[in-house]
Amino acid sequence: MRSIANPRLMLMILSAVFAFLYIPISVLFALSFNEGGLPTAWTGFSVKWYGELFRNADIMGAALNTLIVAVISTILATILGTLLAVGVEIRRRNGRFLETIIFAPMIIPDIVLAIALLSFFSLLNVTMGLHTVILSHVVFNLAFVCSVVRARLKTFDWSIVEASTDLGAPMAITLWRVVLPVMLPAVIAGALLAFTLSLDEFIIAFFTAGAGRDSITLPMQIFAMIRFGVTPEINALAAIVMTVSVVILALSQRLNRGGLPGQ
Amino acid sequence: MTQPLLTIRNAQKRFGNVKAIDGIDLDVQENEFFALLGASGSGKTTLLRMLAGFEMPDGGEIILDGKDVSQVPPNHRPVNLMFQSYALFPHMSVAQNIAYGLEMEKLPKAQIKSRVDDILDVIQLGQLARRKPDQLSGGQRQRVALARALVKRPRLLLLDEPLGALDKKLRGDMQLELKRIQHEFGITFIIVTHDQEEALVMADRVAILKDGKLLQSGTPHEIYEHPQSRFAADFIGVMNFFPVREQGGKLVAKDGSVIAAAKKLEAGQEGVAAVRPERLHLNGDAGENSVTGTVSDIAYHGLDLQVHLKTAAAPEPVLIRLTADIAEARPISVGDTVTVNWAARDTRAFAH
Repeated sequence: MRSIANPRLMLMILSAVFAFLYIPISVLFALSFNEGGLPTAWTGFSVKWYGELFRNADIMGAALNTLIVAVISTILATILGTLLAVGVEIRRRNGRFLETIIFAPMIIPDIVLAIALLSFFSLLNVTMGLHTVILSHVVFNLAFVCSVVRARLKTFDWSIVEASTDLGAPMAITLWRVVLPVMLPAVIAGALLAFTLSLDEFIIAFFTAGAGRDSITLPMQIFAMIRFGVTPEINALAAIVMTVSVVILALSQRLNRGGLPGQ
Repeated sequence: MTQPLLTIRNAQKRFGNVKAIDGIDLDVQENEFFALLGASGSGKTTLLRMLAGFEMPDGGEIILDGKDVSQVPPNHRPVNLMFQSYALFPHMSVAQNIAYGLEMEKLPKAQIKSRVDDILDVIQLGQLARRKPDQLSGGQRQRVALARALVKRPRLLLLDEPLGALDKKLRGDMQLELKRIQHEFGITFIIVTHDQEEALVMADRVAILKDGKLLQSGTPHEIYEHPQSRFAADFIGVMNFFPVREQGGKLVAKDGSVIAAAKKLEAGQEGVAAVRPERLHLNGDAGENSVTGTVSDIAYHGLDLQVHLKTAAAPEPVLIRLTADIAEARPISVGDTVTVNWAARDTRAFAH
C-alpha cells in the first residue's frame, strides 16, 4: 500500500508535535543560564543561578532528602520486585490474577494511592516522616521493577537453571552464578527506572511526609518556592533534575532492550 | 553377566491423569550406547529426566551402581544431561561453560584448566574457547554442550535429542563422532531420539517406548529384523503390511491369496503379515510368497529405486526397493504389471 499522506505534510506535523513537546523545556534550560534571571529579557549568559542554587540550604537539604528516599526505596523495591517477578514466573498458574494485583499500583492514580497511604499510616498511628515516604515509594516502585524484570523473564531460558543443577550446583549458587547475571540488565534497568520515578515524585511524598521541614523532598521544596513565583534558581534546579532523569532513563532503556511492558 | 550399571524397576510417573511412565523395567550395561526411541508423548523424555533427577518417580526404583538414586536430587547424581536446547550459559565463554561443572566439584584450578583444555581438544574447539555461545554455530554449540557434560566424567551421560537441531549432513557426521567419543571415554550413553535411523546407527541397544510402556528392547538388528509388535514393525524402518485372517493354519489375504509367514496367528484371528521392502524380489525363485500388481509410482533415490505397486492384497501400495544394478538390468515403468516374490522366513505376522 502506498502512503496516503503527503510526506512533507507528515514532516510538518511531526515537527509541530516535537516543538510543542520540547520548546518549553528548551526555554527552561535557556533561562537557567540567563544572567538577569527574568523570564522576559535575555541579559547574557551566566551560571550564577547554579551557584545560588548550591548555596541555598533549604534546596540542598531537600535534595539530600530526595536522594535518601530515592536510593533506599530503589534498593528495597529492586530486591523485592525482582524476587516477586521470579516467584510469579515460576508459579505461573495464578498468573493473571497475581499480575493484576502486582501492577495495580502502576495504574491507580497517584492521588488515590497517596490518600490511601496517608489514611493507612494514620490508622496505624505511624509518625510520618522520611521513612513513610520511603515505604510509600517502595509500593509503586516495586510494581515497576517487577514489570521490567518480568518482561525479561518471559524470554528467559529456564533450561540453563536445570543445566546448572545438573552440573552439580546447589540452588543458591545457580541463582548467584547463572540466574542473576543473565537477568542483571533487566534488574538494573528496573532499578534505574525506580530511581527516576522516586526522584521527581511529588503527590505521594507530599501526602506521606508529614509536617516539619526535615522530611521535605525536592519536588515539595520546588512547589513551596514557586508559590512566590518562579525564581531563576528553580530553573537551574529543574534543568539539573531533568538532565539526571533523562540520562538515567536512557541508560535504563539501553540495558533493557526488550522495552517496558506496554511499550 | 555382571551387574548392570543401571536398573530401572517398575518405574511409574503420573502427570495429573496421564501416566507418563507406566511400569518400565530396563537394564543398561556399563559402557553401553543405549537409545530410548519413541514418538513424542511416548514418555522417553520423562524417563530421561527421571534418570537425571529432574522428575521423581511415583513408584519403582532407579538403581545406579547398586544404589537406589530415584529420590536423589540432580546435583548429587553421578549423571549428566546434555539438553536438547543445549542450555549453554549465555554470559559465559566456551571454556567457562565447560569449567562450571568442575568448579562445582571444587577441584584445584590447575586440574580444572587441564581437563577443560583436554576436552576442548577432543571436540576440536580449542581456538574458540573464549567465544560466547551466541558467537558459535549450531554444530559448535552442540559440541560445547557435549563437552560440558562429558568433562565431569559421569557414570551415565544422558543425551536429549542431541542431534535434533542440526542439518542432515552434519547429523550424519555427528552420529559417528558421538560413537567415537563414547568409545574413547568409555562412558555409558543413553540417548533419547524420535529418529529411528539415528537409534539404529548409533546405539548398541535400542528400547522402543510407547504410551509410557516399554514395547521392546534389543540390538538394532533384533529390533529391525524381529519386531515383536505391529507398532515396532511400523515404527522402525519401512514395512509392507497385508491384512490377513487365519484360516485352517494359513494366513489368507483380502484377495484370497495365501501368505506363508515365520510366525502364525491363532485360529480365526485377524492380523497383518509384514515384510520389509528390501526382502521383495523380482525373480520368481526368491520365496514362497508372491503378489502381482501395477506400478503406480517410481521414486529415484540414487542408491536405489523405490517402486510402488498397487495390489489387490493390500490397501496401501506395496513398496519395493531395487538397487541400481537390478533396476538397470530390468527397466520398469509406471503402469507395468509386476510380480514380486519373498520368503516365508522374511515374513512376520502380527495380530490386531
